[in-house]
Amino acid sequence: MRGIVARADGGVTVHLSARERDLLRSLPGQLRPLLAGEAEAPTVSSRLFSRGYEDNELEAEYHSLVAEDVVSQRLAAMDAFAVTLEEGSQRGGRWRTELDAEAATAWLSAINDGRLILGALLGVTDESAWEQHADDENPTSIVLYYLGWLQEELVAALTTALPED
Amino acid sequence: MASAPVVVPERTESTDEVRELDQVWNVIVWNDPVTLMSYVVFVLRKLFGHDEATATKLMLQVHNEGKAVVASGPREKAESDVARLHAHGLQATLARD
Repeated sequence: MRGIVARADGGVTVHLSARERDLLRSLPGQLRPLLAGEAEAPTVSSRLFSRGYEDNELEAEYHSLVAEDVVSQRLAAMDAFAVTLEEGSQRGGRWRTELDAEAATAWLSAINDGRLILGALLGVTDESAWEQHADDENPTSIVLYYLGWLQEELVAALTTALPED
Repeated sequence: MASAPVVVPERTESTDEVRELDQVWNVIVWNDPVTLMSYVVFVLRKLFGHDEATATKLMLQVHNEGKAVVASGPREKAESDVARLHAHGLQATLARD
């Protein structure tokens, strides 16, 4: 069993290899400074944070009211994600952990932000450039694709908890 | 303030306020090449209660046309919707209808 499975209570069970766990553990340390705007990375920032208005004056007002909250929410999710990586149980090269609905939502935010950051670092500017396959020579590309798989797993699991159509 | 009957200026002002507050603003989601389509569908369903078919249709519009209007309403509500979309890492803006 490998992947993410929905639980009846809206949470999920995660089954990954120890190696995958280690990869995920390496991410918050690298991603958090970029998310927090602590590193000089304008291309990353512009991909992470969208403007709300086309008009500069309205945007300035919106930004001053809302931007801080948006950043702190996403940082909190990245931090919660990091904490969950130290939980669960690992045996025989396999790691399994339970996430409640809140923790699963934190994973979704952290993984998505991870993909936005890695995509910006790789300079992905249109779908055709990256939809082919991961560049095996480029670790960043491999991680971007891996996180894409993980996010698909998580979205599929969380979708079962959405209200019925 | 004009020297008119007391009732008239108040009514004019509140009518103007009502017009301003009721003006419809559109919430627009913009395409970006990295974000997964399934994630966009999930966020639209979670935030706006769309069913799978509607959310998928909107996502495909974003994907194929570059953007789509996913909700509309008074400015305050539209702005709050945009902030929630931003919190989920989507590119979104609001604009007058």
